[in-house]
This record gives sequence, C-alpha cells and structure tokens, in this order.
Amino acid sequence: MSIPKVVGIEQEYAIKIKGEDGLSAFEASCMLVNAYARKVGLREPGMGMIWDYGHETPYQDIRGQLFGKSTGQEIISEEENRLINASLPNGARLYTDHAHPEYSTPECLSARETVACDKAGERILLEGLRLMNEILPSSEIALFKNNIDHQGHSYGCHENYLMEAETHEDYLVSSPQKALETLIPFLITRQIFTGTGKVGGAGTGPQKTPYQISQRAEFMEVLFGLETMYARSIINTRAEHHADKKRFRRLHLILGDANMCEFAGFLKVGSTQIVLQMIEDGFIIEDFTFKDPLNAIKQVSARFDSQVELADGRKSTAMELQRRFLERAKEYRKIRNVPHVPEVDSILECWAYALEGLEELKLSSDFNLENDPMEIKRRLDWVLKLWLINRYRQGKNLDWDHPKLRVLDLQYHNIDAREGIFYQLQDQGLTENMLDDTEITRSVWEAPTDTRAYFRGKCIEKFPKEIRLVNWEVMSFDQGEIDRMVPLLNPLKGTREQFQEVFEKSRDSRELLALIEASSTG
Amino acid sequence: MAAIQKTKQPKKKKVKKEDEETFAPGVVSEEKKKRLKKLDEFIEGVLQEAGEEFLDEFKQIEGE
Repeated sequence: MSIPKVVGIEQEYAIKIKGEDGLSAFEASCMLVNAYARKVGLREPGMGMIWDYGHETPYQDIRGQLFGKSTGQEIISEEENRLINASLPNGARLYTDHAHPEYSTPECLSARETVACDKAGERILLEGLRLMNEILPSSEIALFKNNIDHQGHSYGCHENYLMEAETHEDYLVSSPQKALETLIPFLITRQIFTGTGKVGGAGTGPQKTPYQISQRAEFMEVLFGLETMYARSIINTRAEHHADKKRFRRLHLILGDANMCEFAGFLKVGSTQIVLQMIEDGFIIEDFTFKDPLNAIKQVSARFDSQVELADGRKSTAMELQRRFLERAKEYRKIRNVPHVPEVDSILECWAYALEGLEELKLSSDFNLENDPMEIKRRLDWVLKLWLINRYRQGKNLDWDHPKLRVLDLQYHNIDAREGIFYQLQDQGLTENMLDDTEITRSVWEAPTDTRAYFRGKCIEKFPKEIRLVNWEVMSFDQGEIDRMVPLLNPLKGTREQFQEVFEKSRDSRELLALIEASSTG
Repeated sequence: MAAIQKTKQPKKKKVKKEDEETFAPGVVSEEKKKRLKKLDEFIEGVLQEAGEEFLDEFKQIEGE
C-alpha cells in the first residue's frame, strides 16, 4: 500500500580556491558554513545547537551485514561539530562533508517544492560565499553544482525517497530480483531526461565518446552497495532510514546528476515518485531486466538512443522503456488517482513532453544537434549543454578534446551568475523556467509546511538558543536541569496544520512542549 | 498543506518558428542575435578569466 513520497536532495558542491595560499577546501567549506550560520543568527553567544550523529550508521547495510568499524561514527568535539554543521530555519542542513560544502534540503512532499528547495540551496551557498569573500577579499573561491572534476573524481547529488517498509524490504532485501525487473531499469533509463551532460569521459567506463548525457553513469560499478566514494552503486543500501523503520524506509539513490534546469529536476523527482508509488501498489508487472545493467547505464549515457539488450533477448532504447513506464503511470493515474503525488498531472505532461522531444531529437554521429523541433534543449541540461558546447566548438573549429570545452562544461555549473554559464543562458531567455522567484526565496527562509521539516524549521527560527541537538528524526531542548527530546520519527507529522497554533502561542520551548503535551493528553 | 502553485505545463504543440529561432543561427531575429552575441561575449570573458590553469585548480576531493 503506497505512502506519500517525501523527498530530500543532498548536494555536494565542488569548491575551487585561488589566491589564498594554504587555505584548504575543508577550511574554506567550514568558513562558508559558519559565515552563513552567523548571518541567520545561529552563531550568537550561548548557542549550543549541535548536529546529532547518534542515528547515523554509515557502515550498516540494510541487508544485515555490518562492515568496517562498529558503527562508522567518528567522535568529534562539540566545537568541531559546530564548525562543520549548521541546521537552518528552513529545515535544511548546511555542512562540510570531507572537503566540500554540502546542502541537504528539508523534507519535501512535492517535486516542485523539492526543486525550489534545491535552488534555495544554491542561493544559500552563494550568500555564504559572498560573506566569505568579505572576510578574505584577496581570495577567488567559486562553487559549482555538478558531479565531476574532469580528473577522475565524482561527487554526488543524492536523492532520498520515503518508502513503505514492507515494499522496501521486499525489493531491496528479500527479493532484489524485483528491483532488477522494474526499479533499476527505470533508474538507468531516466538519465535521458535527468542527465546534465559532460564532455568526454572521466571515469572507468569502456565507452569512448566525445560527449555523455550523464555525469555519474560511468562511475556506477555495482547494483546494490554501501559505498559512496568507490564501488558506487545504483541503489545505496546504507541502513539509515531517519524515521520509524518499522513503518518507513529511505530509498537512497546516488546515481543522479545535479540538475541546473528546473524542468529536468522536476521531472527527475516527480517521475521517480510516481514509479515508486506504482511499485508500492504492485502496479508495475512487466519485467524489464537488463542483460547487463551496469553496462546498460553506460551505454545509454554514451548514446541516448542506443539499443540496449534485455535479459530475455529483447532490445530496446531508453526512450522506449521510459515510454512504457509513462503509459503505465497514465493508466495508474486513471485507476488509482495517485493521491500521494502532488501535481501528478503536471509531472505526467512534462514526462510525455520530454519523451516526445527526445524521440524527435536528432544527433549526428559527431554529436551535432541536427534537429530539435520541440526545443527540448530549453528544458534538459544535457541537451542544452551539448548545444552550447557545439556552438562554441564549431565557431572556433575545435576538436572535442580541446581543454576549453571541459572548462565550459564545468563553468555551466558555476552557481555565481557573474561566471556561471547556465545562469547566463537563463538570463538570455534560452531556458524554460518553472519556478517563480518568490518560491525559491521562500524556500531560503521557510521550511516546507507539509512535512516534519516545518517543526524543525520553526524550532530553529524561534528557539535556537534552547536547542541542544538536532537531526532529521529528533530534536532536543536544553531546559536547564534536563534535556527534553522530541522524536520526529514520522516525516509526515510535525506539519504547519498540526503545529502552527502552538508555535504562535509559545514564548519558549518549555511552553511549546507543554502545549504539545496538553493537546496530546487532552 | 503547502500552498502548491500550479506548475506551468509545457505546450504539447511543437514550437513555432519564433521560438525555434532562439537557438538557430542564421535565421534569428535582431533581438535574438543580440542575445546570442551577449552569450558569446560572456563565454569569451569566462574562458579568459578561467585561464589555462583552471582545470588543474578544479581538482576535487570526493565526499560521501
């Protein structure tokens, strides 16, 4: 039985430093995190809020094995904790992960709001960067929302989807063949509209091609797995559900690209929400198992219209398989009404538009965009970037391996509009936007109202000095003699509908908790 | 519940010539020529600013 598909995105930003001798990427990331935290009032004297790592078990696998150390948790001091982490009033987490800044959106119910929160993350990072540059005026630091550095390294744009525990267990633990038949073929083929494109190859894939549609595809080495920095998997099996695991599980995907185009980001999240819901309701019955899924993901990335072999001997393009998923989703919409996916009709229309546009898209053998009658390049990153690169390449008569093309590829993702090529394309009216600016601005300051992010965000906004610990599934308040803990184990509870009134009536966390207690016992 | 705005839906029809011109050099309107010129100038500026060392400086350390 399907449940609402709460979504969160974790974006790792590339950071490039020039001109500050000795400033490491780790130090710069921490400076950025704290510059922004200070701006929003989270670094004032007396603030004791730290991130609670207590529920993180990076070495524990959903399939039962425990790898490496006992839990994988590192012990760090409270001072280090605050240096690395900032939990924000919009329900998001801004932090330093290894040597780069990372932004985790708050939990969102709709694909549209997920994209708004992801874009809000860009603005928050950019503001942090601006504040840092005031401190270090001689530095030249830039941030990029992408997934490769063209030197063999890749970093993620991870997606998290709330799943109903029984189906998650069935598909990923008891009978992974089911995931191979449906979910994995969907994920492998969705890159035709989610890919952000890259010049050449940077990973380990065998395909030699001047341009690929996905940045992450060739870094995928296993189907299921725990690791994120090597032996990367299409489905990550870390046993960290950030919710009551008897009812809820987290599907953690690390194969996606970091979209700049709003349309592509919306379709990535929205189509995945619908497919997961169909899986939970047992609505996908066809078997699309690939003969070699790890080769298929690279094959589609190397050429979006290539024929891929299925386990039963059939051959199909990614577009044909996506067409089957879409048709099934339309039937599902008619029969079940898809109550849990907001804006389902918009998602289905965008999905149909993207597929029709891709079916009519013609590329030459040298990757020239020969025909794009539906202007799909205004909506999908990999097509837009391909048009951009070709325009420059042909104008200058450059070969595909010219370094300037890789610079253009990277600068497409620069989040500073003064240097970022995507934002220049947007300014020149060459992209199709979906969001109003007000939606992004609102997501910079306010949490989504229809998930537990609302409760977390409001607490951070109203009582930051009283918060002791925070993470996705719990908050604790320092109330002098005791710490009071509030579990947030249901991502669908803690909404504005439930708590707006008590927040308005409460002057501090004691009053807040007393009112909540009274309402639950009364 | 969040105030969800209705998502702007893409038109099902194929784009008109006017829109197609956005990307097609040779047949573009004066306004669009100006936009593409601005884009080209912007790209030249970005590449010049980046310099030859840009790719080496970009090297990243992977995260989780």
